[in-house]
Amino acid sequence: VVSTQSTASFKNHEMDPFLLKKIPKDTVSRLEEFALYLRESKKERRSYVSVVKTVNVFRDLICTADWVTARELIKIIKCYCKYLPLSQSNETDVSNVVRRILKIIREENAGPEATNLADGISAFFKSDMKPSNLGRSDLQDNILNSIVELLVELDTSKSNIINMALEHIHSNERILTYGHSNTIRDFLLHGRRARDFEVIVCESGPSLQGHRMAAELSAGGIKTTVIADSAAFAIIHAVNKVIIGTHTIMADGALRAANGVHQLAMAAKYFSVPVIVCAALYKLSPTHLCSYDPDAFNKVIGPENMLNFSNAKLHSKVLISNPDFDYVPSDLIELFITNTGGHAPSYLYRIISELYHPDDYDLDNMCVETVEDEL
Amino acid sequence: VRKQWYQRRVRGHSQTHSSCFQNIYLAGKSITEKAVNRIVNGDTILIFKKSQLILHILLEAKAQNKEFKVVVVDSRPDLSGVSSCERLTAAGIPCSYVYINSSTYIMKKVTKVMLAADALLANGYVLGPVGTAMMGLIANTYNKPVIVCCETYKFCERVQTDSILYNELADPDSMLKTLNAEESPVAGWRESPNTRLVNLVYDTTPPALVSIVITEIAELPCSSAPVVLRRGAVKM
Repeated sequence: VVSTQSTASFKNHEMDPFLLKKIPKDTVSRLEEFALYLRESKKERRSYVSVVKTVNVFRDLICTADWVTARELIKIIKCYCKYLPLSQSNETDVSNVVRRILKIIREENAGPEATNLADGISAFFKSDMKPSNLGRSDLQDNILNSIVELLVELDTSKSNIINMALEHIHSNERILTYGHSNTIRDFLLHGRRARDFEVIVCESGPSLQGHRMAAELSAGGIKTTVIADSAAFAIIHAVNKVIIGTHTIMADGALRAANGVHQLAMAAKYFSVPVIVCAALYKLSPTHLCSYDPDAFNKVIGPENMLNFSNAKLHSKVLISNPDFDYVPSDLIELFITNTGGHAPSYLYRIISELYHPDDYDLDNMCVETVEDEL
Repeated sequence: VRKQWYQRRVRGHSQTHSSCFQNIYLAGKSITEKAVNRIVNGDTILIFKKSQLILHILLEAKAQNKEFKVVVVDSRPDLSGVSSCERLTAAGIPCSYVYINSSTYIMKKVTKVMLAADALLANGYVLGPVGTAMMGLIANTYNKPVIVCCETYKFCERVQTDSILYNELADPDSMLKTLNAEESPVAGWRESPNTRLVNLVYDTTPPALVSIVITEIAELPCSSAPVVLRRGAVKM
């Protein structure tokens, strides 16, 4: 359950004094502003916007903080991460980008002979965090160059995905989609340029995001049909494929998607209709589902869209559940279309080992490197 | 209340008609007796939207002092599950309320699923309000028994394998109703050549997803539908 703090109580949540020593005053105010921005989790906030914001804030932190070795820098970044509300279900895209930045720092520090953990067991025993020959300014330049490359990758991630539309949509097809997703909308509109097909949109639950998606798709010239979520099983046998977006991709290829996607995927599996997920790689999170307990995985939001408050007598007597997310196991998903191409769910573990370092999987863990600590 | 309604009707009609209504009333009563036997203390029963028969069963079980909870799964656009909730809470049965999107979220805590049917087709498919098939599928995946309650006068010689071939369309504009008084983005759908709203009324549930069908003559598997039809149990 998410607890939103008021601004007044937020100001009492102080940054770690270690952190305050290392950062100049004006950066501190920018860091606090960013934490406030995350705390005011607006539902319609686009993940791409918050991801770019995150990179800029951390770039700022890297330039202005007081550090000499990469090890110190990572400690500072992890200290700031403890201050951010990253454990809320909404913030996986921000956490993933922070993990990317930490991986960049580790790689630049290790230099050209950097060992890739995916390459073998011996890599586990080599330390990436030995103080590099480069001084702070050179190391910082390298890191900032890599961060610029990361920004370019984030910028082009959506266009890379939608350029694959023509490989996956053929003429006279019927495609089923669920709710609203900017990526899927642009994917389908790009496909419309060369192919003629129909889209069926599920309304998607109390929020009715599907209506917005249908309006945007039909404005783009695609024949769209809106159905209620309960009708998904009834029409899915007549559909060629299901193309959906997601909020997060878990490490084993499972999804944390909009509420109602799990049952849609189950119906698709029953009729052997392929389910294709289009998502950029900053949504790929190296976390697994640890518990089916709703508080650990899901977020429950207010029921005013489900049952009017004018029905107050009923509200007080009935337990109303309005979960925000849905867990979709990876065996229900056929293909992931990401900015690096199409991948089977079974391949994602490999991408994770390339993108993130194992010591960063848990951002609450202040340990910089397990190898040296154990030795 | 239902019992009184039927008794008034039966008394008010002539001899030739009374057996007709008695059959309808007694069918419901017989199914209720059988279904209530299947409800045990500590059950969490999932029902879908509103059905007179299912509500009657639950109220009767409560009258027999059984301790159980109910989860009401509702779906747009008609949201008839709200009135189910009202009747159940009025009788003192603890209720939960979710939309069909969240049915996988609550299915783990449920012990049985009771569904009502509008018809039982000769090939064993259950015709019910749209969304019934989805409930059957999810219940099967989580290994919960699916109990369908259906009187024999609802058995039908028609066969159907999918939900689209023969269905009804309800008013599409009812899908535009939102609870927060904002206008839906597709409100102008009639002017747009590319947009359609489809409001299906029924759907068919495959027999593999149903554990048992409770009728007034017996508790049967879905595949026994043609046997009942042949036996001519429906003597109206």
